[in-house]
Formats: sequence, structure tokens, C-alpha cells
Amino acid sequence: MDSFSNPSSGSSHQLSAQDLKNQLKSQLALEYAQQFLETVGRKCFEKCVTKPGSSLGGSESSCISRCVDRYIEATGIISKALFSGPQ
Amino acid sequence: MDLSDLNSAEMQKFYSEEQQRAMVNEMVAKLTSECWDKCITGTPGNKFSSSEHNCLSNCAQRYLEMSMLIMKRFQSMQ
Repeated sequence: MDSFSNPSSGSSHQLSAQDLKNQLKSQLALEYAQQFLETVGRKCFEKCVTKPGSSLGGSESSCISRCVDRYIEATGIISKALFSGPQ
Repeated sequence: MDLSDLNSAEMQKFYSEEQQRAMVNEMVAKLTSECWDKCITGTPGNKFSSSEHNCLSNCAQRYLEMSMLIMKRFQSMQ
């Protein structure tokens, strides 16, 4: 993203409002992603790594993969239930 | 854009919208966490069973109902 040759900004070194908005949005999205990963990590560690060994076994790895997919799916289900209202 | 533009009407609107969005995301995240704990009791499979799916959906809706109930009760105490 090149904000130095943005024709809509007066001076070539100023940040436009749109640039600022984009930067803030990116920052928020990054923080959201970090929190999400932290939560998924906790949940899936709890479900899938019940007796930590000297390495992650095959069944633990596939459990973790499925767990991540399911958690993402669960987020969608909750989201939909909250905003589509009762059926 | 200079410092005073950070408070422009345009930016205020933007902050307000993003704050709303963040609050919604936070609510979904918290509820998903709680409902996952309540509803997904076994090892995650390749898809949700219909009872797991329904539990998650119900969980969110019951939470909303409960929030209304709590608000009403609280208001009746004022």
C-alpha cells in the first residue's frame, strides 16, 4: 500500500483518512485473529492433548485439525443464531 | 490529514462503527466459548452431530432470552 503517491492527499507525505481507516481496520483484524487463535488453542489443547507425550501423535494432530474446523463452524452457528433470530 | 482531522465527523463515525463491530465480535467470541463448553462434550469429529448443532444454536438463543429476562427483572427493581 503506497500512501506517498496517493493523488487524493494534498502533500505527498501525509496519511489520507482512508489510509488511516485501513491501518486501524488492519490492526483490529490482527488483534481479533490473535485472540481467536488463542481461544482455539486452549479449547483444542483441552480436547485433543489429554496426556502430553514426547511429541504430538497422529491421532492428536488429526483431532486438532478437526477441532479447529469445528470451532470455526461453531462460531458461524452462534453468529447466525444471534443475528438471524429465533426460527 | 493533521491531528485535528482525527476527530472529524467522518472519523468519529468510523470509530463508532468499528467499536460496534468489535463489541459484536467480542460477544460472539465469548458466547461461542461458553456454548462450545456446554455442547461439545466429546472429541471433535468430522462434522457436528445434529444434537451438537442444535445445542449450539439453542445456546445462543437462550442466552439472548436470558439477557432480556435479566434486564426486565432489573428494571422492575428500579
